[in-house]
Amino acid sequence: MGWIHRDYLHSARIFGCSTCRTHLATIESMISRAFNGQHGRAYLFDRVVNVYSAEPQERQMTTGVHIVRDILCVKCNRVLGWKYDKAFEETQKYKEGKFILERALLTDVD
Amino acid sequence: MSLTNGHGLSPPRKRDVTKVTLPGTALYEGSHIDREEFIRLVIQSLRDVGYTESADVLEAESGYRLESRSVSAFRQAIIQGHWDEAEEAMDRLGAADEDDRQSAKYMISQQKYLELLEAQELNSALTVLRTELAPLSMEPERLQLLSSLLMSTSGEEVRRAAHWDGARGLSRQYLLQDLQCFIPSSIMIPPQRFDTLLQQAREYQRNSCLYHNSNAPFSLYTDHACGRDLFPNTTTVILAEHDDEVWDIQWSHDGGHLATASADGTAIVWRLGPVDPSTGRECTPIQVLRNHPCPVNGLSWSPDNETLLTCADQVIKVWKAKTGVCIKELTGHSDTITAVEWLPDGSGFISAGMDCRIVFWDAQGKKRDTWENLSIRITDIAMDRSRLIAVGISREPVTVDPASLLDSQDRNGRSVPSPTEGQVESTLEDYGEVTSVKISSDSRYALVGHGPNEIQLWDLEDSPHLSRTYIGHRAGKNVIRSCFGGAGQHFVASGSENGKVYIWQRETGILIQTLTGHGSGTVNCVAWNPQHPSMFASCSDDKTIRIWEPQPNGLSLEDTSSKGKQRWDMDSDAMG
Repeated sequence: MGWIHRDYLHSARIFGCSTCRTHLATIESMISRAFNGQHGRAYLFDRVVNVYSAEPQERQMTTGVHIVRDILCVKCNRVLGWKYDKAFEETQKYKEGKFILERALLTDVD
Repeated sequence: MSLTNGHGLSPPRKRDVTKVTLPGTALYEGSHIDREEFIRLVIQSLRDVGYTESADVLEAESGYRLESRSVSAFRQAIIQGHWDEAEEAMDRLGAADEDDRQSAKYMISQQKYLELLEAQELNSALTVLRTELAPLSMEPERLQLLSSLLMSTSGEEVRRAAHWDGARGLSRQYLLQDLQCFIPSSIMIPPQRFDTLLQQAREYQRNSCLYHNSNAPFSLYTDHACGRDLFPNTTTVILAEHDDEVWDIQWSHDGGHLATASADGTAIVWRLGPVDPSTGRECTPIQVLRNHPCPVNGLSWSPDNETLLTCADQVIKVWKAKTGVCIKELTGHSDTITAVEWLPDGSGFISAGMDCRIVFWDAQGKKRDTWENLSIRITDIAMDRSRLIAVGISREPVTVDPASLLDSQDRNGRSVPSPTEGQVESTLEDYGEVTSVKISSDSRYALVGHGPNEIQLWDLEDSPHLSRTYIGHRAGKNVIRSCFGGAGQHFVASGSENGKVYIWQRETGILIQTLTGHGSGTVNCVAWNPQHPSMFASCSDDKTIRIWEPQPNGLSLEDTSSKGKQRWDMDSDAMG
């Protein structure tokens, strides 16, 4: 792997990891606030940086079965949410390739 | 007949020399060298050396003269300080252009004026100032300075104030050189012209010598070429003590120790030992510096090689290199520290990081100053005695990657420097980073590692400008630290994401070596030994460090090629 500098985002509002303040996503890439995770409210993002994904697994959600992967902070390794690999129901297809970050694990950074 | 001119010191001699008449104008048949030019350069060299009789004979035999009588008269007039004669001679010699004539006259008058002042002949000096200098002067400030010299009370004071070494110094020689630009070079050959031409030939040969790795002078008798036998292309020892990727390495300034920084959270100090004929280079770990919270990504040896700095995320540790005792742990950054570096005079060190901050510490680890809110997130820094260069990633919301060269004269950090945007280049979004910077030992160049796949050489003289690029290696997302190296820093070396080490000739940018040996992953850093031009080290994701040297055991290239490695022979053939 080598040493890789983390990505730094440019935005008026940047969401970072609440543990280590690593940049994760911007307000511009947020698609929806209407999601729920393990720790309550969660956000759907189009693009998230500085995370790596765990193995894919099938998970039963309120909106049906999905194949998802947990996503972890590259710096502190905390699980921050998940990424949708596949949705089986046509109405849920829009989530594929998108990311969920849990609000309780985010903090505003600059 | 007296042929004395030029230096004209030898007494006239009676000698029967027959002029040789040759056909054509070339030096000899088929030559592109003009005979007259060549012979006059030889005569000039002979006179410069002091072989005046030989020069006289050559002039008589060839019929070519170094200089006409009017040039000799002009030279004599300047050297002896006969200013009126000098002006007349100057008029005879050329300077077709009226402006040139005026400038020449002004320079002669200025010398005359200074010499009069030096001799404290103030009235005469004043006359020269009024009647000769003032009417010709183009620069009022210069004239003001010259007139202020009238207040000087001694010759010594005049010399100091005018930055001029006096009538008995070299000032008349310098004047002669300056005036020479107004005289066609065919009439008065520039000083030491032959030497200049040979120096150019030498420089050409040095630059054509791909593996040049020695500062020793070489002979004019044959074309010069270094063999590969002095070039470090063989791994003489593999250092395998780290448990994870090795990210940074640095030699101590005396070249006797190597410090290595790893993702395993340790740094190791190695002592370079002798070469053993059967086992290769000896290199033993003498200290393991532990207890870093995370990967160690930066190192810096103090100028006296006593103290070693390591940095890991937001912490700097200060170690006694000999004992391995951590004497300080410093915090002052709010994001990853990417570089630490001692000041060249050892009075302290600086750290820089992704928090857009540069912190200045004294040698005891006390914070002296902080520059905050710089316009870049700093990825590396380099320093010499007058300059600090920081490179990084722009904070601004742009989709281009400005490799800002941030240049400051004030390394005490009293003011925030105004960053000069050295270059703004379109690169792929989120791809392409400036990951390393080094300054050459002559302070003239900066070597900037620039993703993707490029290392840039910046000329820092005047306004910084891109001088050359080195390509061939692979550098995308990884931080790869490249370096200058070899005798006269003749090479540029870098790691690569494909596990190889790349070495270019600095001057031409020609890729001369691609060295394999490291396992898969990235070669993260290459460091040339500052005392041994034929040795460098590389470190890799494969958890090892390799030391590269010429083939040991007196196993010369001939030995290798005779065993059938034909590719070695290519250069030997070219050497002739």
